[in-house]
Amino acid sequence: MSIPLSIRRFHLLPLILLGTIALSATTHGASATKTKRSDGKSVAPHSSPASDNDLDEYKNTGAIPDPIQPVNRDTFWVNHQLYRYILKPISRTYDTLVPKPVRTGIYNVCDNLEFPLRFVNDTLQGNLKRAGGEAEKFGINSTIGLLGIFRISDRFPSLADIPAADTGQTFAKWGVPHGFYLVLPFYGAKSLRDTVGLAGDYALSPIFWVSIWLTSIPWVPAVTAPDSVRTLHDKLAAYESLTNNSMDRYLAVRSAWVQYRKKVADQ
Amino acid sequence: MNCHSLRSILLLLTSLIFVGRADCSVTDDAQKQLKTWVDQVVDVASHAPDREVLRTKVRPILENCINFDSMTRRAVGPGWRQFTPDQQREAIRLFTTLIIRTYTAKFTPGEVPSTTYKGSFSTTPGRVEITTSSLYKGSHYDIVYRLEQGSTANTQGWRITDIVIEGVSMVANYRTQFDSEFQQGGAASVIKSLTHSVNDPK
Repeated sequence: MSIPLSIRRFHLLPLILLGTIALSATTHGASATKTKRSDGKSVAPHSSPASDNDLDEYKNTGAIPDPIQPVNRDTFWVNHQLYRYILKPISRTYDTLVPKPVRTGIYNVCDNLEFPLRFVNDTLQGNLKRAGGEAEKFGINSTIGLLGIFRISDRFPSLADIPAADTGQTFAKWGVPHGFYLVLPFYGAKSLRDTVGLAGDYALSPIFWVSIWLTSIPWVPAVTAPDSVRTLHDKLAAYESLTNNSMDRYLAVRSAWVQYRKKVADQ
Repeated sequence: MNCHSLRSILLLLTSLIFVGRADCSVTDDAQKQLKTWVDQVVDVASHAPDREVLRTKVRPILENCINFDSMTRRAVGPGWRQFTPDQQREAIRLFTTLIIRTYTAKFTPGEVPSTTYKGSFSTTPGRVEITTSSLYKGSHYDIVYRLEQGSTANTQGWRITDIVIEGVSMVANYRTQFDSEFQQGGAASVIKSLTHSVNDPK
């Protein structure tokens, strides 16, 4: 069946119009929104509506209910001053006074003694393979590694990178939700779930109980206790790396903490 | 089982093998490209005398391998549609500087990380996630690179669209901050805040 020429032309018209609009839109997009690079080349951003479907990809990543944000922000501000004016100088002094091999040795011994915390939580999560790996690691480091001073277990690929289990992670595996976001004095970012988890971590930490017993010699727990001087350097470095180029320190830390804890729970 | 159904199963299996192989080749290409960039950055980081030199020398490499346009759009979110072309251009320019500064801040000049490529998979056509483990200053870090194949003449080939360090996505982290700024004062507020961060690092 043949189609009259006038009708065929009519059918072609919308196509020609659409083609012209699409072409002009592409040309306009390319010329209007080019960004100069340091090598002088121009890069056109994808700003066409067709490529805007991905704009909401990160909508809920790092989100957590934060009903007491004003209080949290105040605590965050106090912590920031504490990190900046008290803890950072303490960490620097420790790094200056104690040679690196000694610092590493102290860190390794304390980390090795935290074995029950990781072992119990791996078991509670039903991850017996990982619990076995922790036991093996503890055995090797406590004997060949001279009470954990040397992390000999790192030389075995299967033991080198076992993720450290904690009580908050166990609650997450059991399906306990975060609750809401909390900023604790000194400890910083936590959720209701992980605050309870923190209490569990302390209860399972031999280092914590030894530190309480040794309070008559204050410098010992100041260096060996969980969340003490020995772990300050890395924590402050992570905090600064997160906040130095942020637009809102509080939100940067909150989002990073939620994402990090999700990764820990998914491990 | 009759001959026809046997043929159908064989056809299905063959096509699955081909699809799998195509997928492998895509992820291999992306991983090869990523390895080249990581090696270039590590080479610069190991020879740079200070952070300023590191930042200057690393910038052209990052401009070549990161799709800053895509990163900025996703970090801003749906509010991006309300930015004028000038505001979009300015946001990309500022965010590029901020991302380069954030990324280079992770390196200490002279310290060399060793990277192990643990695996890669294609999330959707044209998108690949490559998981690496980096040993840096005695600690292991899981770093996931998200890459996408460019569709325009300027963004052809693979480009990084996000870097996820220890589960923390760079884009998602800025998205939370941009969201808050956008809700307070729209595109102008985002640009103002970006300008402040770039000109006055904390």
